[in-house]
Amino acid sequence: MSKVNKLFPVFMFFAMFAHGQESARVIARQGQVSFFSYTSVEHIKAENNQVLGIIDLTSGEIAVSMLMNAFIFEKALMREHFNESYVESDIYPKASFEGQIQGFDSGLEGEQTRIVKGNFSMHGVTKVLEIKTKIERKDQIFVLSGTFEALVQDYQIKIPPLLAGNIAKTISVDFRFECEPYAN
Amino acid sequence: MRIRAVFTFWTLVVMAVPVLGQEGLLDILEQEHKDTVPTYVSATFKTTRITYGHSVETRKKGILEIMLSNRFWNTPALQSQSFGVDKMNARIALEYGISDRLSTGFGGSTWDGLFDGYLKYRLVRQRPKGEGSPFSITIFQNASYFSEGLILPDVDDSFSNRLSYTSQLLIARKFGPNFSLQLTPTFVHRSVRYGDIDARNHMALGIGGRYKLSHHVSLVSEYYTVFNPLDSFDTYGPFGLGVNWEIGDVMLQFMLTNAPSMVEDSFITGTKNNFNFKNPNLNFGFNFTYVLHLKRKLKGLKQKD
Repeated sequence: MSKVNKLFPVFMFFAMFAHGQESARVIARQGQVSFFSYTSVEHIKAENNQVLGIIDLTSGEIAVSMLMNAFIFEKALMREHFNESYVESDIYPKASFEGQIQGFDSGLEGEQTRIVKGNFSMHGVTKVLEIKTKIERKDQIFVLSGTFEALVQDYQIKIPPLLAGNIAKTISVDFRFECEPYAN
Repeated sequence: MRIRAVFTFWTLVVMAVPVLGQEGLLDILEQEHKDTVPTYVSATFKTTRITYGHSVETRKKGILEIMLSNRFWNTPALQSQSFGVDKMNARIALEYGISDRLSTGFGGSTWDGLFDGYLKYRLVRQRPKGEGSPFSITIFQNASYFSEGLILPDVDDSFSNRLSYTSQLLIARKFGPNFSLQLTPTFVHRSVRYGDIDARNHMALGIGGRYKLSHHVSLVSEYYTVFNPLDSFDTYGPFGLGVNWEIGDVMLQFMLTNAPSMVEDSFITGTKNNFNFKNPNLNFGFNFTYVLHLKRKLKGLKQKD
């Protein structure tokens, strides 16, 4: 009896690991998000290579979080303007997305294209987005990539009339997340 | 008894695991963010000058600023032919970011014949609350050469006697998205002396602030007080009140001030007018800065087909 009791913690220890496997997650710590604004006057491009993304493989839930001041612009001053005058990253430091990959099959090797639906929050505004996403699986690595468009106006970002010609009304956003197994 | 305790502990641990599993995915990312690169508070003042004096801001690597500063004022003559622009002083300068922290600049002023150069280094950068330094500190050193004729008989006129130096410690804090404040302990060494009673070394303290009125417009003000002013003529502390307007690659600064000069040693120790509306005391100032990015961070920007 006492022997069983002594072994009990060992059993429980393995049980714990079993639990851990059940809710398998993959994470991208250096996800890339870039956006482009094309107008006849000026092309603006910005890149953020430190976007975090996490996927729950069983439920297909996905979350993305990025720091607005980590976007790198072609012009250093643009980054300052972007943070201070447009997205106000002092007040709203992050943009985040929380949603669901619809019809996600984590066991499928190779490529699948799925719709990701969820809430995207930026500059204090939350919008429902549906993004067509390409998901590639190679062993334990999941690569998600895609493009979507966002209206500047939707996120209450004001462009002064003087610069209306320099900044596009629709911004195109590219993303790429290389997710690897997440250990707690 | 001990076995029971171990048993209970493990039961709790195992029970806790699924609970941990239920925490939101965004919460996990929140934790992960803490391990990423440090962030700094940006745009404490945005422009490299608050009004006439330097701010903690330096330009990033590879940025060349073309800066045109003007001051306009009237002579005390009763009948003036021009509206507010009897006299003017213009400083034309090139300022360049050597690295993200070190910048330099060279300029020349028309009215007082001062040629100046400076080096400015960003020593400490303010970080968000709880992450690091609550202040930004920048060190500043300039030298200016007085090129106008000296008609003082007892002045030993040589190159070195025409130089003045200003050292400043710029300490600023951005208190919130809209408000920044700067304290500027200053040391000025003047080689040009108008009389033996004048001290060569002066200590001064400056205070400046910025309040953001809208996304692109801010209200700025600045004042310097000199603890041991010149004795050979009356001087006043320079005061400035202005509006800064930042639009893309252009930064405009409009100000009212009593300092006609735009070089540190001259406006800090040698401002002869008090701030009021009597001619020639009130100057209207206008700084135009055009920002050129000589080194661009992202290469290969292609137009979308």
